Amino acid sequence: MHLFLLGVSHRTAPVDLRERLDFSSRDLSAAAEAISHRPSMSESVVLSTCNRSEIYVASSDPAQAREELVAFLSDYHHVPAQSFQPHLFALENSAAVAHLFRVAAGLDSLVVGEPQILGQVKEAFQTAAGKQCVGPVLSNAFRWSFGVGKRVRTETALGGGAVSVSYAAVALARKIFGRLEGRRVLVVGAGEISSLTAQHLRGQGVGEIVITSRTHAHAEALANEVGGRAVPWDSMINALGSADIVMTATGSQRPIITLPQLQAAQGHRRSTPLFIIDLAVPRDVDAAIGEIEHVFLYNIDDLQSIVEENLSRRMAEVERAEAIVNEEVTKFMAWQRSRTAVPTVVALRQRFEAIRRSELQRLEGKLGALSPEARARVDEVTRLIVEKLLLEPTEQLKALPDEETQAAYTEAVNRLFRLTDDEPLDYARGKRSESPKQT
Amino acid sequence: MNTLPLLLYAAAGVAYAIHFARRDAAVGRTATTLLLFGALVHTFVIGMQTMEVRHVPFANPSRAVSTFVWLFTLSYLYLELTTDERAMGVFILPLIVGLQTIPALYPGMEYQDAVLDSPWFWVHVSSLLFAYASFGLSGILGLTYMLQFKEIKKKHLGYFYTRLPSLQVLDVMNSRAVAVGWVFLTFGVIVGGVWTAQARGIDPTDPNLQAMSLDDPKIFVAMLTWGVYSFAVVARRTLGWSGRRAAWLSALGFAFAMLNFLAINYFVTTSHTFY
Repeated sequence: MHLFLLGVSHRTAPVDLRERLDFSSRDLSAAAEAISHRPSMSESVVLSTCNRSEIYVASSDPAQAREELVAFLSDYHHVPAQSFQPHLFALENSAAVAHLFRVAAGLDSLVVGEPQILGQVKEAFQTAAGKQCVGPVLSNAFRWSFGVGKRVRTETALGGGAVSVSYAAVALARKIFGRLEGRRVLVVGAGEISSLTAQHLRGQGVGEIVITSRTHAHAEALANEVGGRAVPWDSMINALGSADIVMTATGSQRPIITLPQLQAAQGHRRSTPLFIIDLAVPRDVDAAIGEIEHVFLYNIDDLQSIVEENLSRRMAEVERAEAIVNEEVTKFMAWQRSRTAVPTVVALRQRFEAIRRSELQRLEGKLGALSPEARARVDEVTRLIVEKLLLEPTEQLKALPDEETQAAYTEAVNRLFRLTDDEPLDYARGKRSESPKQT
Repeated sequence: MNTLPLLLYAAAGVAYAIHFARRDAAVGRTATTLLLFGALVHTFVIGMQTMEVRHVPFANPSRAVSTFVWLFTLSYLYLELTTDERAMGVFILPLIVGLQTIPALYPGMEYQDAVLDSPWFWVHVSSLLFAYASFGLSGILGLTYMLQFKEIKKKHLGYFYTRLPSLQVLDVMNSRAVAVGWVFLTFGVIVGGVWTAQARGIDPTDPNLQAMSLDDPKIFVAMLTWGVYSFAVVARRTLGWSGRRAAWLSALGFAFAMLNFLAINYFVTTSHTFY
């Protein structure tokens, strides 16, 4: 049985195509179910996020599975196959496992190390598991991938540091104020970036968001959107006096908050910290304000450079994360092979045990005179001999380096001990056969 | 007897440093466990010494240092366990280990004198030691505040930025530590004054008691320390001296306190020479 993966991602397909092949707006579990009922596939998980649509299946015939999956994608999304086929990528076995681990670790994400993807992988797996669409092949690989995702996050700084301007601003606010609950926010300018940052701040539980804009209607619209309060442009300076966090993003050509204005608004006695985020170009806030002891003034360039530093720090961790993924792929494949050795090992043990029993039975006449304790001892000793003889071959079979060697050894062992032969061996057909039918 | 707690503190110090550098939660828990264990053993040591001389050992400077380290460790553990902030440990532990080396190397004998056999004396010393422990915390908190403030203000978000608590948390903890320390310092000084007056009535010829005045270096520096912290407490409330100014004041105050507690105790003969 092979692990096979077919999909599109931000690396292979443009956004409009990804949108057309997106599963997330539709019933994921129904899709997984529909796939796993196809003849060439026995298991399936559908992973669909805004940057990828990937189908993982267990199949005995990957070439056949590929054809069926292409046909399925075309039918399901009503998209002609030739429009997306050049953008598809298909991976098998260890390459598919490596891809899954990289995705779970956040290495394949658009923003490297972003935290949501691991949850999305888990969700995709659980959805499929809920519909009984997963078996041993996919559930082992997916469960292992959760561990890899977690390991990469704890052992590397791949997910460390804010990588967007608005997150960087929120992270800074938290380092200044600790918890943001109850903090008062003043938003000056009601554009898109204001909205984004205000929403992040709202998510941190800030107390009050006051919004002002030259166009009062814009301020009101944003206030409705983020649950804030719009105030007229004229009262901005008043609002400045009581704010803890001020965020400006207007299109003004000249500074709208100057040092005298701020001093007038705050009085000279104020000593609680004031965090000013100036996201406007040209700047909205007079740079001299940053000289005041309790004011922390960050402009868009400062935040941008934090973001870039964090991104480069993440990129520096990519190599370590990739090393962890490779290590885990090797471990996983070795574990998989050791599992494929299990039937051979079991058959080998059964064969040896059968020989042991038949020999004991053959000697029944001679052993009959022994006391029950001595009989038990003989039984024990023979069992131990068999155990010891099998110990090393069992270990060796489980630790074979690759699939080819594995197949060759399995074949050799099967042949040497006639394990696949259903007919009992000659010595098992002793004078007194163990088969109840023959007695 | 003070060596075993020292070793445990040193081990905890190493663990706190590793925790700080690598931000590994498991190492952090190990550090706290080691410190708790060290404090427990130290409690036992102090308990033994108390039973030996029938009062908490602090009439000898080395033993007083040991008792101070014990109170300091307990205060820090209280702070850590109530705020769940372990980052301060890396700054606190060197102080703990450094000070604990003194009683471990020079155990000293506890001095016993009839003049010290008064409950006033024990209240006096224990209040002051507890005040110093609080000031120790506030001093370290002030130092870390300055480190964090510098990185955020200068926009160089680096090593300390990611590891230290927020400015607000550091400032609030600092203000509490200073307030608690100030209350105990004030109380301890008043009790000391009352006790001196009483003791003079009992034994007016005792040279130590004769020397109890502001001319005495120990008392002078103690009053200076009290002045610094009183200003810190008042300035925070009336002048709005929080944040970096408060951090500076608490570091300055702690420098005075340590000067008094170590340098003057050991090298300058003062009114408080009971050994």
